[in-house]
Amino acid sequence: MTALQQANVLGGRALRDSLRTPEAIVPTLFIPMFFLVVNFGQAGRIFTSDSTGFLFGQSYAAFTLPSSLLLAASFGTAALFLIEDIEGGYFDKLRAAPVARTSLVFGWLLAEAVKSAVITVALVLLSLPFGISIASGPLGLVLLIALTAAWAVVFAGFMQLIALKTRSAAATNSGGLIFFPLLFLTPNFVPRDLLTRPMEIAATFNPVTYVMEALRSLILRDFEWVAVSRGFAVVAVLGVVMLVLNVRLIRRYD
Amino acid sequence: MWVGRAKVPGMKLAVEAEGLVKQYQGRSGTVDAVRGVDLSVEAGEVFGFLGPNGAGKSTTIKMLTTLMSITAGTARVADLDVTAEPQAVRRRIGVALQEAGLDARQTGRELLILQARLFGASKHDARARATELLELVDLVEAGDRRIKGYSGGMKRRLDLASALVHEPDVLFLDEPTTGLDPASRLTVWDEVRRINELGTTVFLTTQYLEEADQLCDRIAIIDDGLIVREGTPRRLKEDLRERHGLDAEPTLDDVFLDATGRTRERAAGEVQEVTV
Ligand SMILES: Nc1ncnc2c1ncn2[C@@H]1O[C@H](COP(=O)(O)OP(=O)(O)O)[C@@H](O)[C@H]1O
Ligand SMILES: [Mg+2]
Repeated sequence: MTALQQANVLGGRALRDSLRTPEAIVPTLFIPMFFLVVNFGQAGRIFTSDSTGFLFGQSYAAFTLPSSLLLAASFGTAALFLIEDIEGGYFDKLRAAPVARTSLVFGWLLAEAVKSAVITVALVLLSLPFGISIASGPLGLVLLIALTAAWAVVFAGFMQLIALKTRSAAATNSGGLIFFPLLFLTPNFVPRDLLTRPMEIAATFNPVTYVMEALRSLILRDFEWVAVSRGFAVVAVLGVVMLVLNVRLIRRYD
Repeated sequence: MWVGRAKVPGMKLAVEAEGLVKQYQGRSGTVDAVRGVDLSVEAGEVFGFLGPNGAGKSTTIKMLTTLMSITAGTARVADLDVTAEPQAVRRRIGVALQEAGLDARQTGRELLILQARLFGASKHDARARATELLELVDLVEAGDRRIKGYSGGMKRRLDLASALVHEPDVLFLDEPTTGLDPASRLTVWDEVRRINELGTTVFLTTQYLEEADQLCDRIAIIDDGLIVREGTPRRLKEDLRERHGLDAEPTLDDVFLDATGRTRERAAGEVQEVTV
């Protein structure tokens, strides 16, 4: 069995377990939707489509949708499931099997990717009544889903590092709070060039900025390849770092 | 039907450890859990690893099964070096740790199928093997229910079954009967015997001396990270009788208490940790 097949088998199990735990899925849909409604409700009249250039003719909801998508993709539930495996001893059972260590890393992360893709589609559908359309068309929508899901994997993968290191649900939960600075030190309310200088600097160093800008460009504009590929490049680099660190931790796991 | 791997031809020593050491680095300093253990278990044996709580049994098992790094010394399992070839070792061993490692959201059958798949069985073969194993450990009826609702004994039996999916050459069982009711304990004993008759070497730890006496061809007693006795149960009892000039045949309990420097009174006062 190749490492890919093993990862697939483990991912299938993780997905099945996730579906059997709907209470872990509901908030990932509800809270981002809540933010979309609140953000649009509060700022929708300041930033109207005819008077705001950076909306490119759409409503403010379209501008703020990427924040909600990234929020939904930054719950890192996979790491909490992994903690349960560790505490229940099942992780040792998997480690004792002749499975490639990379496949072990991917078990819960694959489920996270699928879950994130489904939630992204749901959020896009739910936001249609707010007058949102995907300016880059069907291919753009596919890229939007792929990029969001890839971010979900990267974020959950970094939380998984905390889980493997601390083996504590409390510590892993606290580690997940990093999504606050990551998601809010970004151009989430206005474009980067309208931010105050300190915020602009912070946002420039924050990798999430580039993912957010890529998603936003897919929603508001026809393809802007520079912004889109920058988003994918950031996620790819972080993904490789995440994977290497995870494999190392699992190899040295005692 | 999926046929498991043939047993390693010519495998003589199932387990061979020299100067095995494990130090845990904790916040409160270094713990010397295992302090230089030599072991040799022949192919085909049921080997019992005895010792009081905290003696280092689980730590030793985890090192032998590639789950934990070895601080010093060497270990070979099924003729393979554990540190150098962990993946090859994993293919040949089955492991059921002290805390049954199950995923409560799956059904028993799903867990076994997944386990068989991870050891390389096709979907079809994995299904057949799961059915076979559910029969072996008497869980056919419960097989399609979530593990969440299983009793302690059922979980243990399922854990045992999951260690057998690939017909391992060497089976490691860490306290397989601790916390079980007497009937379930006897069921596990029967299964261990049956597995052993089919050619699998069994390395088990236990706190129950009667269990070791009933099941094991040879035993080693570990105390505070060091082996203090090793031999067949019979040999160890005879040794004790000769040394102390006893009239009656001592029990394995007596051997254990003598070896670990505990008196009956002290041992009776110790609280036994029971893990289900
Ligand atoms: N992860 C760990 N970190 C620090 N000390 C440990 C750890 N695991 C076990 N120990 C210590 O190592 C010793 C041996 O433990 P263990 O191998 O579990 O014994 P046994 O299985 O014989 O009861 C004990 O003193 C125990 O407290
Ligand atoms: Mg133990």
